[in-house]
Amino acid sequence: MSSNTKHNMTSQEKQETLLAQALTTVKEQSFEMKLNLDKGRLTDALKPANIMLAELRTSLLSPKSYYELYMAISDQLRHLELYLLDEFQKGRKVADLYEKVQYFGNIVPRLYLLITVGLIYMKTNPSLRQSLMKDLVEMCRGVQHPLRGLFLRNYLLQCVRNILPDSPEDTSGEGKVQDSIDFILMNFAEMNKLWVRMQHQGHSRERERREKEREELRLLVGTNLVRLSQLESVTLDKYSKSVLPGILEQVVSCRDAIAQEYLMECIIQVFPDEFHLATLTPFLRSCAQLQVGVNVKNVVISLIERLAAYSQSPDVTDPQAVTQLFDVFSSQVSNIIQTRVDLPTEDMIALEVSLANLALKCYPDRVDYVDLVLQTTVENFERINLTKVEYSSQVSRELMKLLSIPIQAYNNILTVLELKHFNPLLELLDTQGRKAMATSVIENCLYAGTYIGNEAQVECILVMIAPLIYDTDEKDKVEMDAEDFAEEQGLLGRFVHHLKSDKEDEQYLILSAAKKHFIKGGDKRIKHTLPPLVFQAYQLAFRYFKIKDKDELWEKKCLKIFQYCHQTVMDLVKAEYPELSLRLFLQGTLAIGEIRFANYETIAYEFLSQAFTLYEDEVCDSKSQLGAITLLVGTFERLSCFSQENTEPVRTQCALAATKLLKKPDQCRAVCTSAHLFWSSKTSQGQELQDGKRVVDCLKKGVRIANQCMDLLVQTQLYVELFNHYIYFYEKGNEHVTVAMLNHLLGKIREELPNLDSSEETEQISKHLTNTITHIRERTAAGGVDYSGLTL
Amino acid sequence: MLVLVLGDLHIPHRTSTLPGKFKKLLVPGRIQHILCTGNLCTKESYDYLKTLASDVHVVRGDLEENTNYPEQKVVTVGQFRIGLCHGHQVVPWGDPEALALVQRQLDVDILISGHTHKFEAYEHESKFYINPGSATGAYNPLDTNITPSFVLMDIQSSTVVTYVYQLVDEDVKVERIEYKKN
Repeated sequence: MSSNTKHNMTSQEKQETLLAQALTTVKEQSFEMKLNLDKGRLTDALKPANIMLAELRTSLLSPKSYYELYMAISDQLRHLELYLLDEFQKGRKVADLYEKVQYFGNIVPRLYLLITVGLIYMKTNPSLRQSLMKDLVEMCRGVQHPLRGLFLRNYLLQCVRNILPDSPEDTSGEGKVQDSIDFILMNFAEMNKLWVRMQHQGHSRERERREKEREELRLLVGTNLVRLSQLESVTLDKYSKSVLPGILEQVVSCRDAIAQEYLMECIIQVFPDEFHLATLTPFLRSCAQLQVGVNVKNVVISLIERLAAYSQSPDVTDPQAVTQLFDVFSSQVSNIIQTRVDLPTEDMIALEVSLANLALKCYPDRVDYVDLVLQTTVENFERINLTKVEYSSQVSRELMKLLSIPIQAYNNILTVLELKHFNPLLELLDTQGRKAMATSVIENCLYAGTYIGNEAQVECILVMIAPLIYDTDEKDKVEMDAEDFAEEQGLLGRFVHHLKSDKEDEQYLILSAAKKHFIKGGDKRIKHTLPPLVFQAYQLAFRYFKIKDKDELWEKKCLKIFQYCHQTVMDLVKAEYPELSLRLFLQGTLAIGEIRFANYETIAYEFLSQAFTLYEDEVCDSKSQLGAITLLVGTFERLSCFSQENTEPVRTQCALAATKLLKKPDQCRAVCTSAHLFWSSKTSQGQELQDGKRVVDCLKKGVRIANQCMDLLVQTQLYVELFNHYIYFYEKGNEHVTVAMLNHLLGKIREELPNLDSSEETEQISKHLTNTITHIRERTAAGGVDYSGLTL
Repeated sequence: MLVLVLGDLHIPHRTSTLPGKFKKLLVPGRIQHILCTGNLCTKESYDYLKTLASDVHVVRGDLEENTNYPEQKVVTVGQFRIGLCHGHQVVPWGDPEALALVQRQLDVDILISGHTHKFEAYEHESKFYINPGSATGAYNPLDTNITPSFVLMDIQSSTVVTYVYQLVDEDVKVERIEYKKN
C-alpha cells in the first residue's frame, strides 16, 4: 500500500514537473511570438508559435495535465488570431498564409495553425466557409493519437462555434445549416472513434484507470451534440431526418458501452423534449441495439421521466404525440426487454415501474394502461420462467415497488381490484413479500378510509391478502415473535370493519364470505379476526332493527345473524378462548335483549346460558372468575327481556355462583354485586324488581362471609364496603334495610378499627369510613333520607 | 397541567381506528398525563398513547388483552386525587350512587370511569365525576347513538377545567366544564 502510494506520488510529481516544463516553454515562446507580432513580423512570429504548439505532441501527460497545457496554448493562440484578424481587416493581403503554414513540418502544430488561419479566412470571407470547414475537418484525420486528436478537434469546434452557418437555405453563398450539421456530425464521429480507441490502448490491467480518464474526456465528445442543439435552424424535420440518425448511427456502430451510455443520456439532455417526443421510436429502437453492459434501463427511464413531465407542461406542441406516448413506450420497452437478453430481471421490472408511473401521470384514468404494464410484466416472468421471487432480493424489491404504484397512486383499493393482472403478479412473491404487500394494501384502506362494499370485491381482496389470513404455503411459513404476530393480526382485525356495505343484505353476504376466509386462519389467528366479525354482525342486527318497517323479513334475518354469531363464537370456544367467548356471548345477549325479534327470548337465553356454561366449565383461576361473575351480574342486571320463569333461575344461579368463589373476600364482594339483581333489574314489563327481602338476604350473606374472614384488616375493609352497600339500598328506599342493621355493622367496624395495626391500608379503611359518614351527614342535611337512630 | 382522559377504544374488536379529526388534535408534547379508562384491547393502542405522553395510566376494561392492568387506580395530579376505574365492575353500570361508593372507597376528588360509551361530567356531593365516553365511538348494544368523545383536563392548583371533545356529524365540538375543589 505504502509503496503504491509512493509510486503514485512520484507519478503525480512527474506529471507536475512535465507540465511545468511545458508551460515554461509556452511562456517563453508565446512571449517571443507576441514580440514579433508587435513588430509586425508575422513570419518570425509563426516560428515560436510552432515551437509552442509542438508541446502538444507529448504523449507523457495525463488527460488532466494535457488539458491545462491545451488551455494555456489556446489562450496564446487568441493573440495570433486577433493579430491576423486585425491585419486582414486593414486590407493587408496575406493570401498565401493558408498555404504557408501547410509547410510546417509537424502535423500537430501545423493543424492548430491551419485552423487558426482558416478561421480568419472564414471570418473575413464567408463564401469560403463551406469548403474550408470541410477541408479542416477532413485534415484533422491526420492526427490519430486519441488524446491529441480529441483536443485538436475540440479546438476546431471551439474556433468555428460562432461562424457555423445556421440558415435553412444557402441564399448568400455563405453555407446553410446542413453544412454545419455535416461538419459537426463528422467531427463528432471522428472524436467518438478516438475516444473509443482509448479503451483499447495500453495494458489490460490499466483498464480501470483508462476508463477513469475516458470519463474525464467525455465532455469533449458531448460538446459536439451541444453545438448541434444550439443550431437554431435545426427544425424537428432536420433533427429527425438528419441530426438524430447521424448521431445514432455512430453511437450504435461504435460498439462501446461507455460511449453509448453517455451519448444516449447526452442526447436526452441536450435536445428539446418536443424532438424526443417525435423521435421516440428510432431512439428506443437504437436502445435495444446497444452493447451488453450498457445500462439501457437508466437511459430509457430518464427519457420516460422527462417526457412524462413534458407532456404535462403547457409547452406541448403536438398533443397527438402525447396521446401515443404510452403506446410507443410500451411497445418499445417490450422490444428492448425481448431483444436484450442480458437485461437483469430487476432492470426489466424497473422499466415497467417507469412505464406505470408514466401511465399514471399522463393518463390517470386509463386503468387499462397500468393493467397492461402489469400484464407485460407477468408475461415477461413467464417468458424467463421465473415463478417465485425471494423476499429482499433485488427483483422482489422492484416488483414490490411496481405493485405499490397503483396502491399509492389510486389511494383506493377498489381501483386496484380492477387490475386483472395485479394478483397474478402478486403471487410471484414469496410469503414474506406477499405479507408485506398485503399489509400495505390494508394500511392504505385504513388510511384512505376505503370501504369494500360488495361480496365479490371482498372475495377478491381477501384472496389478495390471503397470506395474512392463513398459512397459504406450508413450506414457506414466516416465523414471527408473538408481538409482531399480534400486531399483524390486529391490523387484519381492524380491516374487518372496512368490509362494509350500506346495504344490509349485502353486508350479511360480506360477513359470511369473510368468515369462510378467516376461519382458515387456525386457532392463533381467529382470536384476532373473529371478534370483529361478531361485533360487525351484532351491529348489522341493529341495522335491520332500525329498518324493520321497510323489511318485513327483518326478524328472520336477525335470527340468521345471531345464528352466525353463535356459530362464530363457538368456533372461538373450540379454539379455547373461554373468557373472550363468554364476553362475546354476553354482548350478544345484550344485543338480542334490545332488538327483540320473534322468539328472541329463546335465543337470548341460549347466548346467556352458553356464557354461564363457559363460566362454570372453563374459567378457572379465581381472579378471572371474580371478573367473569361480576360481568355476568352486570350484564344480567341490564337485561329485561326474560320472562319470570327464565330470570328466576339465572338470578339464583348468579347469587349461588358468587358464594362458590374460592376466596372469601371475592365471595363477599360478588354476593354484594349480585344483590342488585334483585333490585334494579327490570321485569319484562319494564319495572324494577325491587325485591327488598332478597337484596337483604344477599347482603346478610355477605356479612356472614365477612365474619369468616381470618384477616382482620380485610374483614374490616369488607365491613365498610358492606356498610356502603347497605346504605345504598337504604337510600334507594329498601324497607328491609333497617337502621338497626346499619348500627350493627357500624358497631362492628368501630370495634375492629382500633385493633388494626397502623398501616397505609388501615388508614385507607378509616378514610373510607370517614367518607361514608360524611356522605350520610350530607344526605341527611339535604333531606329526603331519614337516618334518625343511626349512631354516627 | 394537561391530562388526557379517554377510553373504550375497542380497536380492533369494534372499530378500526380513532377518528382522524381526533388524531389531528392529539399531538405529542402537549399532554403531561394520560388516564385511560380501559378497553384499549391491544398493545398497539397502548403504544399509540405512549407516543402522546410518557405518563400513561390504564385500568382494565372488560375486553382487555393485557390482563395485568389494575381494576382501579389512584393518580395524584397537583392537588387532586383522581380515581380511575373502567366501570363494568360497578353495578348498575353508570349509576351515580354506585360510582359514589367507589369514590368514597378510593377517597378521591375526581372519579373517572367509562364503559357506557357516553360522555358525562358532573358534580355529586362536591366530588367530580367524569366519563370520557368512547374515543372511537365504539358500538355499544345498550346505546345505539354513540358519539365519539374524549376529555382534556386542565389542572391549575385547586381548579380543574374540563374540555370535552365530541365528534358530531364530522365536526369536533368542544365544551368546557369547570370544577373547583372545596
